[in-house]
Amino acid sequence: MQTADFTALTPLLLLAAAIAAVMLQIALKRSHILTIVLTLAGLIAAMLGVLAVGDMPARQVTPLVTMDRLAFFFIGLILTATAATALLGCRYWEHAVGQCEEYYLLLLVAALGACVLAAAHHFAAFFIGLEILSISLFTLMAFARRRMASVEAGLKYLVLAGISSAFLLFGIALIYADVGSLAFPIWTARLQAAGETVSPLLLIGMGMTVIGVGFKLALVPFHMWTADIYQGAPAPTTAFVATVSKSAMVALLLRLFAPVDFTAEPALFWTLAILAFASMIVGNILALRQDSVKRILAYSSIAHMGYLLVAFLSGGPAAIAATVFYITAYTITVLGAFGVVTVLSRTDADADSMSDFQGLFFSHPWLAGVFMAMLLSLAGIPLTAGFIGKFYAITAGAQGGIWWLIITLVLTSAASLFYYLRIVVAMFSPPLENKTQPPAAGISYSGGLVLTVMTVLLIWVGSAPGPLIDLIGRITQ
Amino acid sequence: MNVPLTHLLTLAGGLFFIGIWCAVTRRNLIMVMLGIEIMLNAAALAFVGASLRWQQMEGQAVALFVLAIAAAEVSVGLALIICIYRRYRTLDPAKVQ
Repeated sequence: MQTADFTALTPLLLLAAAIAAVMLQIALKRSHILTIVLTLAGLIAAMLGVLAVGDMPARQVTPLVTMDRLAFFFIGLILTATAATALLGCRYWEHAVGQCEEYYLLLLVAALGACVLAAAHHFAAFFIGLEILSISLFTLMAFARRRMASVEAGLKYLVLAGISSAFLLFGIALIYADVGSLAFPIWTARLQAAGETVSPLLLIGMGMTVIGVGFKLALVPFHMWTADIYQGAPAPTTAFVATVSKSAMVALLLRLFAPVDFTAEPALFWTLAILAFASMIVGNILALRQDSVKRILAYSSIAHMGYLLVAFLSGGPAAIAATVFYITAYTITVLGAFGVVTVLSRTDADADSMSDFQGLFFSHPWLAGVFMAMLLSLAGIPLTAGFIGKFYAITAGAQGGIWWLIITLVLTSAASLFYYLRIVVAMFSPPLENKTQPPAAGISYSGGLVLTVMTVLLIWVGSAPGPLIDLIGRITQ
Repeated sequence: MNVPLTHLLTLAGGLFFIGIWCAVTRRNLIMVMLGIEIMLNAAALAFVGASLRWQQMEGQAVALFVLAIAAAEVSVGLALIICIYRRYRTLDPAKVQ
């Protein structure tokens, strides 16, 4: 390896150094504040690393990873979301578990796995990144070990992730048997060259890979346990799963399938299109009938991955830009929404049922306003990031001519307004008499900071998306 | 003499389906974990077969990765299963609710 290789890897190296530092610090002296400071320092150093080297020309470092602008953008997104999760979790973990320093360590390890996944260029790097991420996530989910729901969520995620990894692995082994290489570009080139006469081995392999990715993105029909996992896992972990692990998977999807011309690959196109269609319909219908806010957000995340696939399937450079924009807007919104759930949670259980949110406007008007902004962004109301994301997705879809998917997107998002507004109505209705109030101590400064930043970003991206669109345009050149 | 690729892939595919069957139908969390292990090892076998076909070491290296990561996964899984067993005194996923 040359110096330039190390320069390109700066963000990953800094993150790995932060992991070692936090681990040593916990071993020497337990101190919650010190761990938080070290974690944030590591994340900020890695972000500065991204800013410093992000404009470099794309560089392939060993056959395993490529550090190009797409990778740097996703690494930046992952680091930001991790920092937000760490800050949101401060107060929460202090109350929920006695010794919680390891949480930050696991969070950093998971972030490193996600960053490797976003930069993967070869199957071995992809698999290692994915498993570093997943194995840390099992523990992050089960971290509130006195709550049985949390341990169950961890175990369910483990079974689900194990089965989906096995599908992915087997599919990739079949593709390898057919193609003779584990590097991504050779696969896509092979898929392009094959056209409509794909060999059965490659076809089965692709099918199994799609099943594996479908599990990871929680697309219908691979969504069975998503709601249980989102509901059972501690709220900061749920925010992390919904943002970091999804955006890393989307980065992979872009690397693997974006160069493929979908008009020449009807089998792949139709498989993904039917997954998108089913996710939009089923995700929204199931969300209509929920009373738990975390479950509503879980089903809405299934629907949102469907919307994202519509942008992705439209084909061409507009598709990549629309997908990247959508996942960015989605990350901001979901961090804000689960952030509100986190700061409202009590020591014994998370704020979850509608009654926990009833009358929120009267006790915490500011929090109710933030949550409302996040929900409206999920529904796609103008002046929020979610609206621009959807608008962009529809424009890309229209360019690609996939009208039936666009019509489904519009109709299902109109229906989704119903369950988002139900939460909003609950927040503005008079408070229940005998209700246990959220922690009177109020909201921690760190949680308040994250929520403020997310709200400002949400409205900024929603009202003046120019800078972000320019940035994404430079990535997808 | 090499074993033909089709034989290896048939064996790996068979093992994979046995693994799914075990993971989906058994009513014991340990057996579910075992099913997942069988699926992962079937995939590792398919990698070894493919690397024999192309006479490369890449596939065998991945098979080693798979073994290492499956071990990490199963250790976390067993820790969670112990946690659940302590609370419910059962390993039947249907009764754990």
